[in-house]
Amino acid sequence: MRVTRSRRSALWGIVGALVVVVALATLPYVVYADVTDLLVNAFILVVLASMWNLLAGYCGLISVGQQAYVGVGAYTVLVLAQNGINAYVAIPAALLVSAAVAVPVSFLVFRLRAEYFAIGTWVVAEVFFLALVRVRSLGGGTGTALPGLALIDPVLRQAVTYWSALAVAGAALLATYLLLRSRMGLDLTAIRDNELAARSVGVRVTSAQRAVYVVSAAGCGAAGALLIISQLNVLASAIFSVQWSAKMIFIALIGGLGSIEGPILGTGIFIAIQQSLAQLGAWYLILLGSLAVGIAMFLPKGIWGLISSRLHLQVFPVGYWLHRQDSPSPLAGEPLSSGSRDFPRGQGRGGGS
Amino acid sequence: MTAEAALLELAGVSKRFGRITVADSLSLRFQAGETVGIVGPNGAGKSSLFAMIAGDLKPDAGDVRFDGRSVLRLDPATRCRMGIARTYQVPRPFENMTVFENLLVAAYRGGQLSRLQGYTVAARILEETGLSEDANRPAGRLGLLQRKRLELARGLATQPRILLLDEVAGGLTDPEMAALVEIVEQVRQRSVAVVWVEHVVHALTRAVSRIICLAGGRLIAEGDPQEVLANPEVKEVYLGVDIGA
Repeated sequence: MRVTRSRRSALWGIVGALVVVVALATLPYVVYADVTDLLVNAFILVVLASMWNLLAGYCGLISVGQQAYVGVGAYTVLVLAQNGINAYVAIPAALLVSAAVAVPVSFLVFRLRAEYFAIGTWVVAEVFFLALVRVRSLGGGTGTALPGLALIDPVLRQAVTYWSALAVAGAALLATYLLLRSRMGLDLTAIRDNELAARSVGVRVTSAQRAVYVVSAAGCGAAGALLIISQLNVLASAIFSVQWSAKMIFIALIGGLGSIEGPILGTGIFIAIQQSLAQLGAWYLILLGSLAVGIAMFLPKGIWGLISSRLHLQVFPVGYWLHRQDSPSPLAGEPLSSGSRDFPRGQGRGGGS
Repeated sequence: MTAEAALLELAGVSKRFGRITVADSLSLRFQAGETVGIVGPNGAGKSSLFAMIAGDLKPDAGDVRFDGRSVLRLDPATRCRMGIARTYQVPRPFENMTVFENLLVAAYRGGQLSRLQGYTVAARILEETGLSEDANRPAGRLGLLQRKRLELARGLATQPRILLLDEVAGGLTDPEMAALVEIVEQVRQRSVAVVWVEHVVHALTRAVSRIICLAGGRLIAEGDPQEVLANPEVKEVYLGVDIGA
């Protein structure tokens, strides 16, 4: 008996991801700032959609209040920058503060189920917004500029912002991958598939969900930090806007819930539509809405779900594959009973869970 | 029913849903290493009994003691980790996980095994329950019989001290039934208590040393399988049903 983490080698996925990251890292030297600015936007969306996917696609937690942590992350950077700390250095602090805030909030919102949870998270985000606009020193309701960065050479600043966003997106995807590959990943998939059965095989459902909620808040906080750094200012009504949740949901939904690859693909599609059709005004929004409805109805696992089930493709394998052999197992002390059959072929894992 | 300490004990357990009584002051004891069958008509409270033991359902009154300690305040996950495993009458597989992964999560959490122990135990149980061929298939693609096997296998993977089987034999062929009875016997020999709710009575009589008959949430008869099934009151509640014994 031998157990591997995917049917085929995971090496290709790792090598491919590294090549992509290195290629992306060199971009500031070869393209103009408008391209890197667009990619900063894309990296932020990848982080947000991945975090929403962790919640909804793996824990069954539908939140429409993750903008609470986008805001907390942004304002953490602002407060630190106002006290003379470099905004880039403040990104990890934004992540930690968001995670710390999420712990007590989770005890509040986890008392609610399903649609009440969704509404509860939104209310929390609104409360954060209403509290922050009362703080005059943070710009109140009219917003304020991020001090410190404006003095840096714009070309350098844009490049550093780009690399920071790339690093955050890479870290968010890596963290998601490692989380899902760990044993907690099994817990989460079990919870998503059947919460009652998960409890009855010993999974501590609420603890696992709380852990993911905190991780998701940390990711959203880091995304909020990137937002204020890339825009050089912050407006409470914009940073705490439910629009962020709408974007996370749209991207995760069209890309494919319950896979790491889905939100990446979804971001690509979203950016492409935004770039090509945004000038259509209202029609652009109607198109986005119809696309989301159509995919939710006909492709419940999103576009990545369609691709991976057709091509048996998984860039980030997180499953377990049991290979059976005649020889006694090198892993196990006791040899398994006989059985020389090949492991079944032609049955890819559904949806890449 | 000796002075020997019971592994699991229900003391005066009652549960009502409106006007329907699923448990009426039930007191039952189960010992380690014994196999007990539970029979009774539909709505007798058999599945509710399992739900109250496993923690999915809270009794209105009475106590559930495992290893001499009340488990009423413990959640299902904790009870499972202590050694109480249940299967569901309508299988509840983790559909997007493979059969092997279904067992792994049970072995890691319910059984609290290490990574390698989990692999070994899951693979062994797949062999025992005849699911090896399906190890890498998503559980959602299994047919009903395989799903029932998976329920049993997943319960076993949690390393139970008491295993609650809820109608796992329905629809099995005779050789499959014999294999199931053999698995139950193997499990019992590891001093696990097996409590088996089943409508297929001839499977029960082959596997169990004691039968409990419930109706309307009350204990109708208890004891030697043949004697219980011969009991007029038991025949009465099964009226019109071929009990096959």
